[in-house]
Amino acid sequence: MLELKNLKKRYGSNEVLSDISLDVKDGEIVSVLGPSGCGKTTLLNTILGITDISGGQIIFNGEDITKKPMQQRGFNIVFQDYALFPNLNAYKNITYGLRNNPGISTKEEVDELIDLLDLRPHLNKKISELSGGQKQRVAFARTLVVKPKLLLLDEPLSALDGVIKESIKERIKYIAREYNLTTIIVTHDPEEALTLSDRVLILNKGRISQYSKPEDIIHAPKNNFVTEFILNQLIIKRNNIFSLFGEQYAQTMA
Amino acid sequence: MRSGKEIRAIFWFVSALFIIFLILPVLFVLIQSFRTDIGVGFGRYIDVFTSNGFLEALGNSFLVSAVSGVITVIVAFILAYTVNNTNIPERLKKIISSVTVFPMLLPTITYGFAIIYSFGKQGLITNILGFAPFDIYGFKGLVIGYVIYTLPIAFLLINNTFKYIDKKFIVVSRLMGDNKLGTFFITCIRPLMGTLGAAFIQSFFLSFTDFGIPAAIGGEFEVVATVLYNEMLGSVPNFNNGAVVAVVMLIPSALSILLLNYLEKFNFRYNKTGEVEIERSRIRDIVCAALSIAILICALSIFLVIAIIPFVEMWPYRLGFSLEHITSLFTDDSLLSIYVNSLIAATLTAVFGTILAYGAALVTSRSRISNKCKQIIESMALVINTIPGMVLGIAFMLSFSGTAAQGSMFLIVICNIIHFFSTPYLMMKNSLSKMNESWETTAMLMGDSWVKTIVRIVTPNAGYTILEVLSYYFVNAMVTISAIIFIVGPHTMVITTKIKELQHYAKFDDIFALSLLLLVTNAAIKGIFNLLAKKKTAKKKADKKANIENINEKGVVLS
Repeated sequence: MLELKNLKKRYGSNEVLSDISLDVKDGEIVSVLGPSGCGKTTLLNTILGITDISGGQIIFNGEDITKKPMQQRGFNIVFQDYALFPNLNAYKNITYGLRNNPGISTKEEVDELIDLLDLRPHLNKKISELSGGQKQRVAFARTLVVKPKLLLLDEPLSALDGVIKESIKERIKYIAREYNLTTIIVTHDPEEALTLSDRVLILNKGRISQYSKPEDIIHAPKNNFVTEFILNQLIIKRNNIFSLFGEQYAQTMA
Repeated sequence: MRSGKEIRAIFWFVSALFIIFLILPVLFVLIQSFRTDIGVGFGRYIDVFTSNGFLEALGNSFLVSAVSGVITVIVAFILAYTVNNTNIPERLKKIISSVTVFPMLLPTITYGFAIIYSFGKQGLITNILGFAPFDIYGFKGLVIGYVIYTLPIAFLLINNTFKYIDKKFIVVSRLMGDNKLGTFFITCIRPLMGTLGAAFIQSFFLSFTDFGIPAAIGGEFEVVATVLYNEMLGSVPNFNNGAVVAVVMLIPSALSILLLNYLEKFNFRYNKTGEVEIERSRIRDIVCAALSIAILICALSIFLVIAIIPFVEMWPYRLGFSLEHITSLFTDDSLLSIYVNSLIAATLTAVFGTILAYGAALVTSRSRISNKCKQIIESMALVINTIPGMVLGIAFMLSFSGTAAQGSMFLIVICNIIHFFSTPYLMMKNSLSKMNESWETTAMLMGDSWVKTIVRIVTPNAGYTILEVLSYYFVNAMVTISAIIFIVGPHTMVITTKIKELQHYAKFDDIFALSLLLLVTNAAIKGIFNLLAKKKTAKKKADKKANIENINEKGVVLS
């Protein structure tokens, strides 16, 4: 379990994160949702360990890891732009972590991941030959090969289009279940957050606005910010889709 | 990214190098210039400024550099316009671009002699025309030399900005009802203004500080560079007065480069450049192509002599074909050893210079070292740009005379590395900062150490730029004369400094033969590196193409 206690982050006099306290259970998928500048990426970076915090504690499985350097925390991240190494092909990217820790995954486990992510036909391709969705899956595989204790995803869907988005969403859910992998996802898209995760953390101006299950956010929004910025967006979307399919359809759905 | 001990070690190494081989020597020149027989003061300055001809030489320098700058910018603009804004065949555009930068492969001192052998009384072009078109010694000769010398830089600057001007604005301007002249001004001249100014300043700076051209062709027309040379290495050397002249040369140079950096802020930046078809106009195309070709023929004709003289028995008296000069070059041990020296100096400069530039760029663009440290490296790169080669050379001469390093290859290589540091550093920084900033973090999460990441990931992806930097350093080390003329020793003579010596003995056949050899070497190196670089870009292009095809089938692949 990951616990954040009164986490604070200041840049000079500018407080980017104030008093963040929450917990994430093992195997849970949590989305961090909020407008740009709300502090969600900073929160991700502090958990990962690239960014030092100004106050509070980060506790993982009972151990205080606040001062632990990034490499020793055992967490891993898939960046928004994937950060794949263009001088290596897809397979060499996937197995990059094995060069330093040969035993961390067995050959069978790597093969299983490759098949799970449908990457078998693309292993010998260069990174520049892969489509966006394929790159995303290679980055996923590369991260999963080193068996992180906690997986962080920075806007994993924002660079992808329509159909691919949905299929990647399913895969993220599947992997989290299959490997019982605690996953924290940063996103600015309410629909994504609410359909993908077990719990959603809504941030506004560096503070927790609401941290609940998706259905609670829809039916019991805690404050104006949640209603106006999160729910309204979804309602507009819903209405657009209903009007597209026709009123009848909306009624049968209801 | 992080500021590990490796990055800090690189930072300290680079800083130490610049302090020992740049800051301290230049400060030493400054101190020398204030040291008089009776203590410290402006005595030397008064001495120099009231001495015969100095003010005139200074005025000459300003005048001839400014005139050359204006002509260079106009000529470079015509060429860049032809390349970017006309519909002439792609192949012709490529030829124009590469021929324009050709003079960069030769030392400036060769330009001077080439002009003499083209336009002088017995010159090739004079012979072809039947009369000497103008008096080449002095002002006119210098202007021709400077224009040829600075045209490549001015062209590269203007061409580069031109490429990034969004041509969609031409369409917008036409649709808004501007007439042709209006469109030309608002979509071409206006966005280029900053760069045209920068090209002028750069051209002025290069001319003002060049030594090779006035050394060959200046004649009675004294400029600061020749005064400086005579004070230091002339028949009656006066190091202290030389230091004063060096400072006087340094000030306008430094000011012009600082101005350049200031003007940089006003440059137009387009986020995206749209590919738009250029409006059709046969007249424009023909006029531009004709002008450009004429310009290039003029420039090239001057270099014709370099290819001819070494194969002529005895210019201009016996005009038969002869390989005597070439064979003597390869049989004369003293000449051959000078060529070998040049090769050694250029190779060492290229290798170590590239490593230095790479290290410095890693510090500023791929580390989390404090901003102060980054600024220190940035300002070193800026400072070195403001210091003319001659001043650097004199600083080295005054600082390292009497030490074990005097006249050594080591000193020449260090001098070259520092002298040309700015551009390679910027090229490297540009390339490194464009790379994905999460690579180091990602690799570290996979268990890499910093060094491993640099070796496995960053360096392979910087390959193209590393090749460019290697070839930049090599070619410049081959053609440079201004700094190293003051520090070469009897055993470390290189081609350019030997040419200066040969001038003294009027051995022009040898001068041209050596120049030709230097040219061939540089062209070969450039060719090889271009080929290697092309391989890399060809790969990239193929990848891109594959990528596009891939996107088309993406839906199928993923469903």
